[in-house]
Amino acid sequence: MQRSDEPGSAKNLGQWLNPLLVPLLAIVTAIICGGLIIQAAGGDPIAAYRGLIQGSFGSPQALSETAVWATPYIFAGLAVAFAFKGGLFNIGAEGQLAFGAVSAALIGYALPGWLHTSLPAYIHIPLAVGCGMLAGAIWGGIPGALKAYTGGHEVINTIMMNYIALNITSFLLNGPMRDPDPLNLSARTPEIAPSARIPPLFNIPDMRVHWGFILALLVAVLIWWLLWKTTLGFEIRTVGANPDAAKYAGINVKRIITITMAISGALAGLAGAIEVTALNYRHELGFSSGYGFDAIAIALLGKTNPYGVILAAILFGAMRNGATRMQFLTQIPIDIISVIQALMLLFVAADAIIRFIYHIRVDEERVVLTRGWGG
Amino acid sequence: MDWRRFAIILFVIVIMFGTVVLIGVSQNSPLVIITSMIATTIAVATPLTLGALCGLYCERAGVVNIGIEGTMLGAAFFGWLASIYMNTIFHFPAMPSLIVGVIAAILTGGLFALLHAVLSITFKVDQIIGGTVINILAAGITGFLNRQLFFGAGSVFHGQIPNAPGVLPTLRVPFLADIPIIGRIFEQQPIAISAIALVIITQFVIFNTRWGLRTRAVGEHPRAADTVGINVIRMRYLNVIIGGFMAGLGGAYFTLESISSFEANMTNGRGFIALAAMIFGNWTPFGAWSAALVFGAAQALQINLQFFRTLIPPQLAVLQNSYVVGLAPYLLTMLILTGLIGKTIPPAADGKPYEK
Amino acid sequence: MKKFYSLMAIVLLASMFLSACSGAAPAASNTAPDCTKAFCVGDVTDVGHVDDKSFNQSTWEGVQQAKKDGNADWVQYVETADSKDYAKNIATFADAGYKVIVTTGFNLTDPTYAAAKKYPKTLFIGVDQFISKDTNHPDWPLPNLVGLVYNEDQSGFLVGALASMMSKAHSIGGVFGTDAVPPVWRYGEGYRAGAAYEDKKNGTTTTVTNVYHNDVGFDKTFTDPTWGATTAQSMIDKGADVIFGGGGLTGNGAVDKAAADKVLAIGVDSDQYYTLPEADPYLLSSALKPLTAPTATLIGTAKAGKFPTTGLSFGAAGYAPYHDVASKVPANVDAEMQALVKGLTDGSIKTNVPPVKPQ
Repeated sequence: MQRSDEPGSAKNLGQWLNPLLVPLLAIVTAIICGGLIIQAAGGDPIAAYRGLIQGSFGSPQALSETAVWATPYIFAGLAVAFAFKGGLFNIGAEGQLAFGAVSAALIGYALPGWLHTSLPAYIHIPLAVGCGMLAGAIWGGIPGALKAYTGGHEVINTIMMNYIALNITSFLLNGPMRDPDPLNLSARTPEIAPSARIPPLFNIPDMRVHWGFILALLVAVLIWWLLWKTTLGFEIRTVGANPDAAKYAGINVKRIITITMAISGALAGLAGAIEVTALNYRHELGFSSGYGFDAIAIALLGKTNPYGVILAAILFGAMRNGATRMQFLTQIPIDIISVIQALMLLFVAADAIIRFIYHIRVDEERVVLTRGWGG
Repeated sequence: MDWRRFAIILFVIVIMFGTVVLIGVSQNSPLVIITSMIATTIAVATPLTLGALCGLYCERAGVVNIGIEGTMLGAAFFGWLASIYMNTIFHFPAMPSLIVGVIAAILTGGLFALLHAVLSITFKVDQIIGGTVINILAAGITGFLNRQLFFGAGSVFHGQIPNAPGVLPTLRVPFLADIPIIGRIFEQQPIAISAIALVIITQFVIFNTRWGLRTRAVGEHPRAADTVGINVIRMRYLNVIIGGFMAGLGGAYFTLESISSFEANMTNGRGFIALAAMIFGNWTPFGAWSAALVFGAAQALQINLQFFRTLIPPQLAVLQNSYVVGLAPYLLTMLILTGLIGKTIPPAADGKPYEK
Repeated sequence: MKKFYSLMAIVLLASMFLSACSGAAPAASNTAPDCTKAFCVGDVTDVGHVDDKSFNQSTWEGVQQAKKDGNADWVQYVETADSKDYAKNIATFADAGYKVIVTTGFNLTDPTYAAAKKYPKTLFIGVDQFISKDTNHPDWPLPNLVGLVYNEDQSGFLVGALASMMSKAHSIGGVFGTDAVPPVWRYGEGYRAGAAYEDKKNGTTTTVTNVYHNDVGFDKTFTDPTWGATTAQSMIDKGADVIFGGGGLTGNGAVDKAAADKVLAIGVDSDQYYTLPEADPYLLSSALKPLTAPTATLIGTAKAGKFPTTGLSFGAAGYAPYHDVASKVPANVDAEMQALVKGLTDGSIKTNVPPVKPQ
């Protein structure tokens, strides 16, 4: 049973600071190790980190880009973390995100045509985003229902759904949903109508940060509230902690499992929908940087806690964003970022190592995520 | 062994093969087509099988390992690196270099597995995290080193990849390989043969030996096993490392048997498919192998339908769409798993760190 | 006991980086000069790595060549990790005062156009970026933007003709990345058209099978050599005796496997005789899309103040020499190839391949 995993229940500063101490030290240690690796490979760690920080926080534009990167990470990280809270491993964020994006794009560019009227933004945007969430919820709910009612493991099914989603979206973007502009050479949708676009926060050129980022923060708070302040959230967490006890307590475990995966999928779908409506204004079959797997790392780094996920997402977003400047200044391969991220995750998770190095004694309950594959 | 599951899988594979034969018969003889598809199936299934065996050893002992992908990638890189060093720097001839490469790959697999074991068993880090760490770490390290060593004038090898000593040779089964056309099936490279052999060996070891019994005990009821005097921690460590060796061999397939070069992230998600194969096979070697064969056959189907694209009759025009065919293996897996076979039963103590 | 294990874990990690420690040359060379004063050239790759042994790498080599030729004081690259970084990556160079920015890949077409308008004093070279005047690009051609484009179908045509003439079994194969990328599709269809042209001329029938790696995502389709090898093997098992590998690393896998099976292979983009030495004994040719030299030349024109203003610069189509396989190529085949090059260049021979796969 988790004891101190609910944030906001702090009685005093110490109790509030303590859970942060080890993760902070873990991150610092990982950064130091990363610096050692860069040094060993002949690079200049100080210049590298300077570049990383400059690129992620060093100017308003950099901060804006970091927020842009962090937004889908927050949503996708919440998706995976939410599923973990329910005792489920959602590897399918990638596919759910794709469907969310495709649906939002469809509503964005096609709906005015279908209805033969233009739509005001306050209707069009929620519709587009809502459809994205719905699509993600369905795509996540299917493996959830399969697990609940047939026992089929969600790990396999979500991995399979990822590939199926990939093929379906490829088909759609190369075929029925393809931008008909004769000069278009790419597999992408037409641009969505202006009424479906989420505006940027500032009207400054080069600052792309948009209201989707604010939405992400709000959704994180919403998820916290859902998990800790509602009956549904309690049921989800109970099923996650001990499905047998939940069943004997009268909770409909099958229903909860399905709902958990559906909500998780909706969050991932939201990530895709926001990217389409707030950033790219279309969906393109492009080179994605693997949000699905980054989301797992972010959820774990944030200890499956919504606020932790926000911080982890911003951290990851900053690293990905700042890597460009780091490479620009030092020509160090951006793969080093992956190594540092792995080390961060490692040290955060294996806090025994950190405690050993820094001689800290923290009596915090270990968050257990793996319940094995048991149905 | 679940014969019903086997029968269904065999049926599915026969359907896939049959479809291609019927379509392509005007261009190539059925025997040629079947042989070629079997060859493709085995080629695709080899790393998947070995990855699934890795997962199997780990999980039968109670340790969840999702780091198979990273382990195979790391093994592929370091095995390849070792073979290059032997061949180019130390000037050994090709075969010994390749063998050293395979050994290096296996050991690398064991090393990554050891890391996972230390994290999961001793530090009781959540096993999902441990596996994720290995995946990210392996991708980062191999990409980083690949760049540092071989790219650009300032790198260790000054921008030139040294000649790799080729790939492992094809071995021939003496009489069977001489049969015209289908003899091709009996010419296989060592790792492909090892994969099949290891499936049989693992089946025997896990279910018919004392070691296997202890392993399963540790994975189902560690406390009871402990009471009877089995060293739970030691059994888990050893099985995870053996699993690592399996994944290491799987990694060697990519750079020492299939082709002789390394590319960043070349495992491309196959480690996760292997994981799925293991679950699909209900944690049994033959089950996992059959799942791997389904994936192999499905990929063969996909390649061959494109190959015979122009011969597909209009009634089956949907098969011309590579995306429709592309999603077939995955859809099939889901259907078979949930529709026909249903609940998979993992080892009871899978994923739970053991507290003495 | 715990201390021992922790130590072991750290030692394990440290041992992974042994190779990095042993004799690694310094990665970062000189520090950049002040690019507002010096003539600096920047290279923004498409998503992927700069050491991809194909596209991104060839362009970068062209940029480096420009430095060797004395046309640049300082060159630098930035790898794109995700398509949303395109504008940011270009701006990184532009804001630092770089005089010429090379962007690689057709996905960067619109970001490059936008950047060219935003930074009128910076010169932009867009590799593989075809633009013409339309509603999205009303101001084209821009004086500071040149698209370096190729007729991949012509290069594909040439090697297709060669393959069909050299194929004893009259069955040839092509292994490609996804056909959703127009240049790849053009290679494949050009290959098919070339074989058909020779068939018509010689009265033969060559079976051409192209297989595209459409079943994985964009991030994997050009970086899956294992799939390329398996697919090539499948073709060889069914009788194909010339294999064209036309999809980055995926295609490289096909070429390597063909050569390992002692089957003739054809490379792509650059003369892969040099990038795939293990395939040399059987590497018949490569469909050329020379990126290195034209990039260097264009940078030279920039330095000399003679940057083209026509908006597009067409790279030449071609095929690579036979190298080690030359003894197997009959004289009449070689003569035919030369005639084809001439015919394609002066327009008398047309490939009839549309620019994009029709829906």
